[in-house]
Amino acid sequence: MSSSPTSQAVEVTMPQMGVSVAEGTIVEWRKRVGDWVEADEPIVEISTDKVETEVPSPASGRVSEILVEAGSTVDVGTLLARIDAEARPGVAHADEGSEPEVPSSQFPVPSPGNGHGPPISPVVRRMADEHGVDLEQVEGSGRRGRVTKKDLLAFLGDKPDTRHQTPDTPAAEPALHSESPYREEEPAPAAGHQLSVMRRQIGEHMVRSIQTAAHCTTVVEADMSAIEAARGRLSYLPFVARATIAALREFPMLNATLEGDRLTVHDEVNLGIAVSLGDEGLIVPVVRNAHELSHEGLAARIKDLAERARSKKLTPDEVSGGTFTITNPGAFGALLATPIINQPQVAILDLEAVTKRPVVVGGDSIAIRPMTYLCMSWDHRALDGALAAQFLSAVRRHIEGWDG
Amino acid sequence: MTTTTAKLAAIEGDGRKAVLTEEDRRALLRYMLLMRATEERALTLYRQGKVPGSYYDGRGQEAISVGTAFVLGPRDRACILHRDLGAHLIRGVRPGRVLAQMMGRAGGVTGGKDGNMHFGDTELGCVGMVSMLPDMALVTCGLALSFQMRGEPRVAMTWFGEGSTANGQWHEAMNVAGVRKLPAVFILENNQFAYSTPNEREFAVDPVKRAEVYGFPGVKVDGNDVEAVFYAAAEATERARSGGGPTLIECETMRMHGHGAHDDMRYVPKEMFDVWAERDPIDRYEKKLSDDGFDTAEIHASVKEEIERETEWALSQPMPDPGDALQGVFATSEPRLGDGNAPWSRWKEARDA
Amino acid sequence: MPEMTYLSAISDGLREEMRHDESVFCMGEDIGAFGGAFKVTDGFIEEFGADRVWDTPLAENAIIGTAVGAAVEGLRPVCEMQFADFIACGFDQLVNVAAKMHYRQGLAVPMVVRLPSGGGFSGGPYHSQNPEAWFLQSPGLKVVAPSTAEDAKGLIASAIRDPNPVVYLEHKHLYRRVKGEVPEGRYEVPLGKVRVAREGTDLTVISYGAMVGIALEATDDLDGASVEVIDLRSLVPLDIEGILASVRKTSKVVVLHEATRSCGVGAEVCALIAQEAFEDLDGPVMRVTAPDVPIPFSPPLERAVLPQVDDVKEACRELLAY
Repeated sequence: MSSSPTSQAVEVTMPQMGVSVAEGTIVEWRKRVGDWVEADEPIVEISTDKVETEVPSPASGRVSEILVEAGSTVDVGTLLARIDAEARPGVAHADEGSEPEVPSSQFPVPSPGNGHGPPISPVVRRMADEHGVDLEQVEGSGRRGRVTKKDLLAFLGDKPDTRHQTPDTPAAEPALHSESPYREEEPAPAAGHQLSVMRRQIGEHMVRSIQTAAHCTTVVEADMSAIEAARGRLSYLPFVARATIAALREFPMLNATLEGDRLTVHDEVNLGIAVSLGDEGLIVPVVRNAHELSHEGLAARIKDLAERARSKKLTPDEVSGGTFTITNPGAFGALLATPIINQPQVAILDLEAVTKRPVVVGGDSIAIRPMTYLCMSWDHRALDGALAAQFLSAVRRHIEGWDG
Repeated sequence: MTTTTAKLAAIEGDGRKAVLTEEDRRALLRYMLLMRATEERALTLYRQGKVPGSYYDGRGQEAISVGTAFVLGPRDRACILHRDLGAHLIRGVRPGRVLAQMMGRAGGVTGGKDGNMHFGDTELGCVGMVSMLPDMALVTCGLALSFQMRGEPRVAMTWFGEGSTANGQWHEAMNVAGVRKLPAVFILENNQFAYSTPNEREFAVDPVKRAEVYGFPGVKVDGNDVEAVFYAAAEATERARSGGGPTLIECETMRMHGHGAHDDMRYVPKEMFDVWAERDPIDRYEKKLSDDGFDTAEIHASVKEEIERETEWALSQPMPDPGDALQGVFATSEPRLGDGNAPWSRWKEARDA
Repeated sequence: MPEMTYLSAISDGLREEMRHDESVFCMGEDIGAFGGAFKVTDGFIEEFGADRVWDTPLAENAIIGTAVGAAVEGLRPVCEMQFADFIACGFDQLVNVAAKMHYRQGLAVPMVVRLPSGGGFSGGPYHSQNPEAWFLQSPGLKVVAPSTAEDAKGLIASAIRDPNPVVYLEHKHLYRRVKGEVPEGRYEVPLGKVRVAREGTDLTVISYGAMVGIALEATDDLDGASVEVIDLRSLVPLDIEGILASVRKTSKVVVLHEATRSCGVGAEVCALIAQEAFEDLDGPVMRVTAPDVPIPFSPPLERAVLPQVDDVKEACRELLAY
């Protein structure tokens, strides 16, 4: 069915959807080479700047070439396909009926915007599953190119498919004619697996958070010497937590939750501490009334919560009601990060690696100090950069002025 | 059976020749007392919250169901109304089964399938009523038709209120019974009110007069005089048995309770109520028996003891299994009506046969 | 085997049962001396006597109610409504007394109610109805609707022998138009079993009564398609397994009945298929029925309402092409 471009060929190019849009991605071709298409009938679905849209055919005719495959991103104006406008409708593909659509059809007509081609009937879906058939490979002779039960049975070789007429020259694509039992080898699908439920849920929460809050990240550098001296075998985290709580007392606006337009500043500090669960993901147990605990108390609680998180023994109360979250992946050596806020809180503090660095101390002297970056992402809907910076400075002050 | 048939042939048309022995008369009183006691106990259970749905009784009308049902032979059949518990008791339904029926227990006559007085014990030859009245009058015609077609000296008896004589099906029943001269006895209980509707709003003509128009006799009796009712019914059943066709017996009475326990009867004029209270059928008959030298104390005691025993039994019955709800829509065999009790002495030979 | 009309087959079946069991008797308007409005009981009063062939008064509730009383006492009445439409006048006795008797009291009511049903001859709104769906909503009634002479005789026999009240729909249009071979003597066609009128593989038409013939005619030569036609013949009980077996085979279903659309027998069959055979479907389950209108009198109006051969062809074609 392919033919070389002729002077009657009508070109289909990547449209410009919006003044500033420079490129687009092919999502799905609605027509194959050899199909008949009417003028204004959707011929391809594209995606530009996160908006998906259908492109109507510029002319009636037979699709003679498709030049850009689904999934590719090309510049606006790129030639995508050609239509032979001189061609006549007829039996080229069996999904072109010679009768017009019956207007008084009782069938539910799927809305054009759902964008996934003709429906798969229950029996076809079941049989395809049972026999491991990829329906993309099956010729559809039903309405709108639908694969019917008969088509599938014929494909499976139950009975010869007498309805499909081979043209003299085989089509360049798609797969070979279904009369022959020969099947070209399918390329092995890329290895992959479904995300676990937990991963999906974490992902959904993160996406929602990004979409809800106006994320900004402010970074302040802190000298950890005083804590280094005091910590013994404890990790940095309980000390930073204690310092954070102290700072939250000075800047209660950071110990808040924002839901819609409603900002609630909390008296108590329920401190969420992110706990890694390895490959499975992460969870954020909450130290309730953390403001009542010393750094040792915090250390003990954090240790307990982390253990129970890993052995899946947390109660629902222990993973809800947080007012501020600290995440501490610093063991792995990263310096900076831009964490995602734990909704509906207004800020999250990321404690990254503590590394020894030369810093300026006193007036102009250089010393080697254990430094860390305190990276706080905060919601610009609830507060401004100035407040964020002031808060972080207070955290640093408490860290650097640590005296137990 | 031949003995009974011979006896039937011997009885004259004048039902007054029907004989009530001393034992029969005691039985008449006992059944009325038992009906009242059962209904009072059921009302108590209702007020105690043990009876789902509604509760209906026939207080003040005891003479009618007792007097009429007493004439029935074992092979006769009955379609009984909700005011006529006495008929069920005479046919042999135990009061405990009635109470269990009211409470929707598994041991009730319908096993919880239908409620209040919508029951009939198949084994005792009774067909249960439906709510639509007087549908059972037509079913009675069918029962009578089967006796006629088979040439059997059997009678079908049914009861209905004066209100239901306004209904098309009542007229269809009267017409069918009259045109075929069916062996049916129709007991019309005129208790003055159809729910709240008094007679003058129900019909223009005293219903007993309609029988003539349908081609058979209509008689009127004092519904609160159990023996008068009995003799009228005896005459009617003999007429039916001997091929003389149906009879309509209008029994005048008064419904002393509401249409149901939920009805406070405010539409009943107090004077009317007081007049009828003076005519209580049980009080009257007890006085009559006492005057004739009967000692009725023992009957009272026996009824009291029976009610206590029966109530205890009824309360011990479990509620039906929910799975029962799906059972019995269709028959797979053909259970037929059985024969009922016939306590009238006249049937003693039939019983002993 | 003798060939006889649908009407004669009903007569024959009734006669055989009355000869076999003297508790069987007929009752209805004009059925005795006149032989019945449609002559189904012609000659009966001569053979069986007026006692067993009763010309009743014009009173449908009386007919049905009296039948109930006779049935519980051991007789087997076969009632005739002069037209199916008049069952409405006996509706109370049928659905409130007959249908519920066994459930409430465990008493069998072995009676039959014959309903000459259906349109196609300018009977107008009161002589043309197909009221069977009303009785699917009355638990306790069985409902049958034969389409062939052989089934007409066998089903009247089964209906009479059944211990339950059975509504028997005899389609007036078939009385003299359908002829077939009918076995001699007594035989019963079981309730609750479909008849495969024609085997096929591409699509199933499920129907009953007069529409079975229409289904066969419409799909006899339909663009080379192989169409299976199922005759339900028993509506209560419904042969669910028989229906599903055909759906599994063809995966495309058209349900056809002359009765009006909403909540008809077709609605019940379609819902059943959608629920029990969802994964066997290769297309939507369709119905061809009369629309929700009273059946009109004038021929062009009536033809526009009752399903015609072309209506069935069109529906089948649409579904075949899906």
